[in-house]
Amino acid sequence: MDAQAKTKINAPAILSKHMLEIILILLFIIMAITSDAFIKPGNLLNILRNVSMTGIIAFGMTFVIIAGEIDLSVGSTVALSGVITALTAGKLSEAGIMPMESAVVLGMILAVIVSIGIGLFNGFLLTKFKMPSFIITLGMLNLLYGVAAVISSGFPVTTLPSWYSVFGAGSIGGILPVPAVFLVAVFIIVLIILKYSRFGRAVYAVGGNPESARLSGINVNKVKTSVMMIVQACCAISGILLSSQVMSGTFSFGRGWEMTAISAVIIGGASLAGGRGTASGTFLGLLFLGIINNAMTLNGVDEYVQYIVQGALIIGAVLINSFQNKKKD
Amino acid sequence: MSSVLEAHHIVKKFPGTLALDDINVSFESGKVHALVGKNGSGKSTLLKIFSGAHAPTEGEIVLDSEKIEKFDTTYAMSKGIATVYQELSLIPTLTVTENILINRIPVKKGGLLDWHAARENVRELLKQLEIEISPDAIVGDLSMWQMQMIEIAKAMSFHPKVLLLDEPTSSLAKHEVESLFKIIRSLKEKDVIIIYVSHKLDELWQVADTCTVLRDGRLIGKVMMQETSHSDLINMMFGQVSIPKRPDDLMVSDEVVLEVKNLTRRNKFENISFQLKKGEILGIAGMLGSGRTELLKSIFGADPFHSGEIIFRGEHVKSANLIRMKKLGMALTPEDRKHEGLILDAPIGDNLCYASLEALTPNGMIDKAKQKQYIDRQVENLQIKVADTSMPVSDLSGGNQQKVVVGNWLNTDPSVIIFDEPSRGIDINAKQQIFKIIWEQSRKGVSCIMVSTELEELLEVCQRILIMQAGKFVGEVIPDELTNEQLYTYCMGGM
Repeated sequence: MDAQAKTKINAPAILSKHMLEIILILLFIIMAITSDAFIKPGNLLNILRNVSMTGIIAFGMTFVIIAGEIDLSVGSTVALSGVITALTAGKLSEAGIMPMESAVVLGMILAVIVSIGIGLFNGFLLTKFKMPSFIITLGMLNLLYGVAAVISSGFPVTTLPSWYSVFGAGSIGGILPVPAVFLVAVFIIVLIILKYSRFGRAVYAVGGNPESARLSGINVNKVKTSVMMIVQACCAISGILLSSQVMSGTFSFGRGWEMTAISAVIIGGASLAGGRGTASGTFLGLLFLGIINNAMTLNGVDEYVQYIVQGALIIGAVLINSFQNKKKD
Repeated sequence: MSSVLEAHHIVKKFPGTLALDDINVSFESGKVHALVGKNGSGKSTLLKIFSGAHAPTEGEIVLDSEKIEKFDTTYAMSKGIATVYQELSLIPTLTVTENILINRIPVKKGGLLDWHAARENVRELLKQLEIEISPDAIVGDLSMWQMQMIEIAKAMSFHPKVLLLDEPTSSLAKHEVESLFKIIRSLKEKDVIIIYVSHKLDELWQVADTCTVLRDGRLIGKVMMQETSHSDLINMMFGQVSIPKRPDDLMVSDEVVLEVKNLTRRNKFENISFQLKKGEILGIAGMLGSGRTELLKSIFGADPFHSGEIIFRGEHVKSANLIRMKKLGMALTPEDRKHEGLILDAPIGDNLCYASLEALTPNGMIDKAKQKQYIDRQVENLQIKVADTSMPVSDLSGGNQQKVVVGNWLNTDPSVIIFDEPSRGIDINAKQQIFKIIWEQSRKGVSCIMVSTELEELLEVCQRILIMQAGKFVGEVIPDELTNEQLYTYCMGGM
């Protein structure tokens, strides 16, 4: 936000405010010097492609976290969306109702509708019964995983037309990966909504202080339900992209993605207590995670060690955040 | 072995204010000593110095000819000064035994907790104090007054020489107060110095032996309750109040904008009826717990009501609906600006526009030019002292924060504004500015309803005052014919 943009120039303040950007730039420079492979355009686009699917979810999650809630079930919706798309395409074409080419489109639409429905359900439990979103979505994480496994009988569903791979594996002009285009599009839309729309303003208000928001005539329950639906819609897009990339709808996809999505949002400066966070922060958080992963892979760091580094990074980011907040009090 | 607590030349300065000015007073054991004064009189500050929460700037506290060397609450406890705070410190999910002996549960050989001994200790303690509550009861299941008793039992379990009670009856019903007083009277026999802070003057004669009155940080006197009348006490508390005059150009039209008919919310208020005319400033006077805030919130639609109706600008409203009321032109500035009125982390500008968000976003997107105009007009009209409206609202002083709360609602162009405690926690200058804003609204034909604990403010600002007691309207007064003492007496039930 541009909250402190106009205050007088103060080097330590700028340093602490733009810590993430500075670390990111330093990281980029170090990588560019130490690794020849890193700076190649192909690799850089690859970073973008690698973060795009979890990234789309992270942008949905940004709304949820700013509103002071959480959604842990996102990974399972990713799997379910892929399975629904592939199953619809397979079943309808096998039954001769319509060709696979058009059935897959119906499947995609169905996946989006089901996901938004899940978000509506989560929001309903959250606002009607005042259940914590943490618990609701923890339950849904397992429930939806189970549903995806049951309807796909535990096997990957590969009944997909060949053109379908364009979403996940295609590229524009042979250069720009399609998922990265989706990611940037979602980023811009979320940026505009959060910064310039009535809804965005309401999301910050609800997360910042729900009682003040309510007494200002903002419909808190509607806002909370909406953010739960938005993040699930993002999961559907992400799930379609993933199933397209590997040409299969598989129930075990997306396991652990909630972790990456939430990490990106938090590293980007959002507060789990609500009221704080930005689209550009989340984007930086994504790039940060992407570059670190890429750097470790290029340098042949063991996969399990990568987990250790990622975990430590999240704790470090939140630590910096809590220092910044403490200084303000 | 009687004991005595003395304050010698106590001075307490806070930045910008002298909270206590050379206080000399002593309290002997075996008696209940009331400590009274209106808001800002310094009574809470003095209590906090006794309890160790504040250190005096000058002077000393002496307990049984031993000077209190350190001012922190643990040290005060160790010297035998126990405090029962207005906000209870009990943990609702634990039992009575666990709460009373928290951190001090006896241990058996081998290091395990001796629950049997703990329960017996507590049972004995409760029996001594004649409190009929089971040691195994879960505190959260108890009623308010029972919790208050447990809190006192907890304090007494330290065998204190001094027991400080801060507004113990503020959230109790009448019959509960009686039970509490029985306990307090029995404590006197245990040779304890009991200091009792309360704003409910009428109760003092039932429980206190002496009464110490503070006003504006100075000790006005210490009197024996039996030799003092109600009006003596009120005179001591308020002294000569100078009430600035309300401007006389304010006009009330005959047009009724708001009518409330038999409004009832169970256990909060019942059968409330009144009319509000265009341009009128109506005060609602009542003590804490009289239901005034609850009534305002139900009228505004923020809280439900069970029966009755509200007729606002010709619309019959039969159930609470805040969003509808706002659309019809009602506004409410809440009593607790930090928790209900503002989004503290958000910029000042945003905080001025939350209530008017619909008007600023004709097609869902924020009209930046209009937003700037909305922000600027409130900053200018309300004289909000701010260099940059993109700073967080938490950076502002209390008075300026209050103006932001008011500005947020003025931006909705309301026809009725409800001000709940608009002057709480702001300095005298900011208060005057807020009152001027209210009068200015009245000139524009906007009607206002105002609630304030500071009764003299209602006399200053309002044209008509309704008196509320225990959830009911009991009378209506015209400020010009009334003194502050009379209004206070009415609110306390002496009508």
